[in-house]
Parts: sequence; structure tokens; C-alpha cells
Amino acid sequence: MRILRIVYLNISFYVLTTTFLLTCLPALGSLMIIFALILPKRMMMRRLRRAISWFGAVVIRIFPWPLVRLSYKDFSGNDTRGPYLFVCNHRSASDPFLMSVLPYEGIQVVNIWPFRLPILGVIAKSAGYLSVRELPFEAFLAKTSKLLKDGVSIAVFPEGTRSRDKQVGQFHSAIFRVALETKMPIVPLCITGNEFIPPVGSPYLRPGLIKLHRLEAITWGEYRGFSPFKLKNYVRDIIIKEAALMDKKNV
Amino acid sequence: MTEQDAIRMTNEVFIDSFEIPKDKLAPQANIFNDLGLDSLDIVDLVVALQKKFGIMIRSDERVRNIRTLGDIYQFILVIKKELEK
Repeated sequence: MRILRIVYLNISFYVLTTTFLLTCLPALGSLMIIFALILPKRMMMRRLRRAISWFGAVVIRIFPWPLVRLSYKDFSGNDTRGPYLFVCNHRSASDPFLMSVLPYEGIQVVNIWPFRLPILGVIAKSAGYLSVRELPFEAFLAKTSKLLKDGVSIAVFPEGTRSRDKQVGQFHSAIFRVALETKMPIVPLCITGNEFIPPVGSPYLRPGLIKLHRLEAITWGEYRGFSPFKLKNYVRDIIIKEAALMDKKNV
Repeated sequence: MTEQDAIRMTNEVFIDSFEIPKDKLAPQANIFNDLGLDSLDIVDLVVALQKKFGIMIRSDERVRNIRTLGDIYQFILVIKKELEK
């Protein structure tokens, strides 16, 4: 009976998501064209990013409920100033949707494949999402610096690929070099509980509670003088410790 | 330069420039998976090795084949021998 219920909720999730995509994306595309014609570019980008965030929130919080639940804890004291560099561990394809809980205008640094998705890839590119592997570091630094200067936060998954065993993989240093150049605060985000939402290589959502902890920002004053290598491992250690706690305890 | 010198000086680069603990510096350690360097860190590593050993390896194609710490020791010895000739 329990399995039947899970299958039913999976079907319901995919039907809702597909219907939403088929109706929402053309609407979003039309809105983009209208915005582009009547609004200044900066304002258009802000609205587009907000629309993507709403889309993410619907897909991760509403459609999979009650199969998948989300618990978000903010240990920053509800700091809403921004912009920030959000650094996350990466266990699931659902991770990018979780960024919708952040109350900031933001973009994500992604791998090559999300840009190749039909429609979604075009929208992500239009919203200024960055494909780190397709950019030389100097171009990446220039683009991220400009975004941060415009008040846009950036979320990254510096492992570059999903972890298959809950271990936090080695970090790539590009975003930490950006931090050292721009002196922006770094916010570690720890995600646990979504290893099987969905599992690697399968669309089947298992029931579970996704936990997302936003930790205190690491300010320039704290990491000033660090090498990029030291900084990335400093942040990685913080995420490893928090993720281990989250996995172990019901926190 | 002896092999021991190459090992000692290379390890000093990893300890000084990357703050990697000495006990992690085994010849079989993969510099990407075990020590955690990425392609951008490799640029920093090359600069540090050049400074330490007084050599120019930035445009040397053989750098691309390096995977382990042991590969670096051997590479340094080969470069040094080539310079002595």
C-alpha cells in the first residue's frame, strides 16, 4: 500500500511538473519578450530571476509534497543584505531548485549540461547563469564581479558533480578566487536528505525530508590573507562538519 | 640534485604554498583526488615549483601528464638533468 502511494505521488509530481512546464514556460518566454521591449535590461533581469526562483519553489516545495518535504534553517540571523557567494554541497539534481529559498536576486554557476536543456537552458542563459566550464577564468571573474557589483548573489556547487556516497568531494577553486578578488562574504549552505530525491540515474523520487542549513557568512575579515586553496578547503571543512551533523542527528 | 632533494623541496612547496600536512605527501598521492588541487591550483603550483627550483616549466607539455606527487618528483629530476646537459 505504501509503495502504491509513493508511485501515485511520483506520477502526480511528474504530471503536475510537466503541465506546469508546458503552460508556464511559454508564458515566461512571452513575458521575457515583453519585458525586453518595455523594461530596462537590469529590471528585466531582476524579474526574470525572480520568476525562475518562483518556478523552483513550486517544483521543489509544492508539487512533490507530501512525498518530499523541505526544512530550511537560517543560522545567519535572517541576514538579508547581500549579495553573497553561496557555496553548497551537491548530492542531487534537486539541489539547484533549493536555491529558491534564498531571499535574494541570484544566479547559479552550472555545468555545461543544464544549458543544453531545451527551453530551460535558454532561460537560464538569458538570466545570466554561468557555465563555468565554457568560460576561461578571466572571463568568469569579470562576469561574476560585475554581477556582484550589481547586487546579484551567486550560488555555486564547487564539487562540480553530484556526490554518490554522501562524501563532500574536492572543491574547485574558481569561486574562491572570485571571493578573494571581490572580498564578498561567502555563505556555506549544507544540503542533506535529498540523495534519493531523485537517486542518480533514476527519475523515481523516494520519500524524504530535505534539510537545508544556511550557515553564518564568512566575511573578508575572516578569510583575508588566505590562499585560494586554503579558502576552498576552509569552506569545505565547514560544510563537511555541518553535513555530518545533519546526517547524524535530526537537526 | 639527488632524488631526496627533489622530494624534500617539492614537499616544501606543497607545505608552504598549499598548507598540506606532511603526512599526506606520499608519492602515490593523486594531486587532484587526494590532495585536492584543481586546474587553477596547478597554475599556482607551477609558479611555486619554478620559483623553488629555478626552472621554467609553464609551457612544458609534460606537465599535463602529471597525476601523482611521484610524477612531480620524477619530472623535476628529468628537468634538472636536462638543464645540466
